[in-house]
Amino acid sequence: MLIPCPHCGTRPVEEFTFLGDATVTRPTSLEPSSMDAWMDYVYLRDNPRGDYTEYVHHSGGCRAWLVVKRNTDTHEVDSAVATKTMKAKT
Amino acid sequence: MHRVSSLQTIAIQGRFGADKGAPGVTLSVVHPLAIAMVIARNGKSKALKDALASLKSVNVLWAGPDQYYVQSAAKSEAALYTELKTKLANIASVTDQSHGRITIRISGPKARAVLAKGTPIDLYTDEFPVGKSALTQMAHVGVHITRTGKDEFTLSVFRGFSESFWEWLTSQAAEFGYQVS
Repeated sequence: MLIPCPHCGTRPVEEFTFLGDATVTRPTSLEPSSMDAWMDYVYLRDNPRGDYTEYVHHSGGCRAWLVVKRNTDTHEVDSAVATKTMKAKT
Repeated sequence: MHRVSSLQTIAIQGRFGADKGAPGVTLSVVHPLAIAMVIARNGKSKALKDALASLKSVNVLWAGPDQYYVQSAAKSEAALYTELKTKLANIASVTDQSHGRITIRISGPKARAVLAKGTPIDLYTDEFPVGKSALTQMAHVGVHITRTGKDEFTLSVFRGFSESFWEWLTSQAAEFGYQVS
């Protein structure tokens, strides 16, 4: 799988470290009643076949965090965007 | 105080590997070399680029988004650090890396062939022209590579990996014959 790093150009997957789902949102509440939301955020993940958006670190290159959209079925990579250039999730 | 290269007793001068004809590559350790890492503060990318362009007798190499290595063989590490710290105040963070990294120069007709064994980067001249730098991995070691001539590159690795990297590099160069100078 080749990932088009916005800083380094196209590089092989060996240079990258995958973190996981980039679509989950961190709960804001620290109340005990929000434990389920935290459980979901920290541990529970879907394992979709098809389109997937995830955080990827270019650890063997520019060391920037990226958000990569790819297809887990075909290994096609749609896009890779540096998180620094993205708007923070609210 | 005199600083000793971590490859001082490893990179022994001489002719090694295939011994027929001219050596395919020449390897040398670039030492001493003052190195500083410079990282732009938020929103200061352009200001940093302009400030770096006005510096004299230093090499400025791209080392990631808004990050640069500034190198000088002529200046002492303290002088380089102090100069950058003063000139880049409020524009960038500066850290001295002179002790942290080892720079190896590889040149000769087979330089590209040796490096191609380790990196996925396209080192063809049109894609990777003189003066361009990139960050990659060779033999699982993070390498900062710069093309300094048609058949000449410099490779910079963490000091702690230098011995292991040297061993890998020389074993890749052995089939072409290499000169350590």
